Amino acid sequence: MELLLFNIFNGLIIGMFYALMALGLSLILGLNGIINFSHGAFLALGGYIAYSLTPVIGFWGALIVSPFAVGLIGLLAERVLIRPLYGRDPLFSLLLTFGLAMIMQDLIRTFWGATGLPFTIPDTLSHPLSQVYFFVTGYRVFLVVLSLFATASLFALLRFTRVGVRIRAGNADLETVSALGINIYRLRAINFAVGILFAGLAGVLAAGRLGLTPTMGASLLMPSFVAIIVGGVGSLLGSMLGGIIIGVAAGIVTTYYPAASDVVIYLIMAVVLVVRPRGLLGQEGLLE
Amino acid sequence: MSAVLVAEDLQTYYGKSHILHGVSLTVNEGEIVTLLGRNGAGKTTTLRSLMGLTPPKQGRIQIFGQDVTGWPAYKIARLGVGYVPEGRKIFGHLTVHDNLRVPALTKGRWTLETIYKLFPRLDERRSSKGGQLSGGEQEMLAIARALLLNPRFLILDEPSQGLAPVIVEDVMNTIRTMRDEGIAVLLVEQNAWLALRNADRAYVLGDGSIVHEGPAAELAADEKRVKALAGASLETSAIDAVT
Repeated sequence: MELLLFNIFNGLIIGMFYALMALGLSLILGLNGIINFSHGAFLALGGYIAYSLTPVIGFWGALIVSPFAVGLIGLLAERVLIRPLYGRDPLFSLLLTFGLAMIMQDLIRTFWGATGLPFTIPDTLSHPLSQVYFFVTGYRVFLVVLSLFATASLFALLRFTRVGVRIRAGNADLETVSALGINIYRLRAINFAVGILFAGLAGVLAAGRLGLTPTMGASLLMPSFVAIIVGGVGSLLGSMLGGIIIGVAAGIVTTYYPAASDVVIYLIMAVVLVVRPRGLLGQEGLLE
Repeated sequence: MSAVLVAEDLQTYYGKSHILHGVSLTVNEGEIVTLLGRNGAGKTTTLRSLMGLTPPKQGRIQIFGQDVTGWPAYKIARLGVGYVPEGRKIFGHLTVHDNLRVPALTKGRWTLETIYKLFPRLDERRSSKGGQLSGGEQEMLAIARALLLNPRFLILDEPSQGLAPVIVEDVMNTIRTMRDEGIAVLLVEQNAWLALRNADRAYVLGDGSIVHEGPAAELAADEKRVKALAGASLETSAIDAVT
């Protein structure tokens, strides 16, 4: 029983990483129309930048600064690499982001080395909160709470601010948004940067949980795509739920049959695609 | 009377098909100009070309005396051009209020408050989803959205489409009010009689070129000609007679 709880909780944490990734991927797929294969590399970058910033500004500073730094790098990548590809065959952006991911991974290897690095979290967060449930550390609880807070902030931004309303409108009909005087180039750039910022945040949080390797993001990327499909393409809430569901499901399966913990993700996807092809929440338009 | 819009020799393509073969038209301050034509004559394409949504391969567009050839749609809109697209294109999954928060913020008399005063029905339905509105309400929302840009030039693509005759009259009254307040209007209509009754001047498009231009009243008086040029059927004129 304790082992099951342990694995469910671990699954929830991994699910949070999937969810943060899937949210960013979903945003970018929605407005920018790009399947961003470099999302995992941006995640890794977030972890590594936080690693280098921690000695200078501490863990808490790095936790805040690193995601925004990664978001800025994302903004630059959108401006220079992605923007020329809007309106072209989706294959172009697929290839580009795939190539970008490999370049970024190699840059990480060049700057930080190919071997894994430990990422230390503050002592205040590393202690278990309970003697019985030793796995419930402060850091893990913090990670779940911060992820939920970040997600809630994103939903508030999309619901209540004009930029958010325009992003939601643009998901449905970018052309009409443009005819209403909105600079859609800037809107797409902001949207891309916000999506990347979420990858960066997931990177910092994942670094403290899983450690740093240049490919840490790549292994989270595929399940995150699965999360989007399970949750329903076009629904941010669905992406979030999809991430948590597959994370927890993998955790449960680990308890009984560890070898199948990777496969179960794809089994869930297969079942969802057969029973409900549009995904769990992929019914109506965005964010309904 | 100065020109709000001068378009010269627009040549527009959709992929490889050549849709507009040198369309030229002018809209002056304080007038309603209607652009008529049969289905597929290129009316919507002309409007999309003017808005920068389907940029012409050749030709020149001046709006408020400024050369806007090749400009993206958002820059043209920000000059003070309101566009009400074919099929209204309201954001069905957003509330009425959120639909009205999409347009760029501009200075002028039209703000969310004054718009809600002009369209009390939209005020009542503020928190309804755009997709739940009736056709007439959606048309009002599309016009309201364009007005929030505080335009000096309004482009409307078939505002009467799919609306009950009574509602069409409401829409036309709104358009005439706008004209009287100094907004120039370019109106594309399938319903030729309706358009000619409300417009000052008319152009007729046929197969991607202008085949007629002149005062609206003059064209309206020549029923045969309207039928021949604009494809207006007896049925539409009969419906108009009832309203």
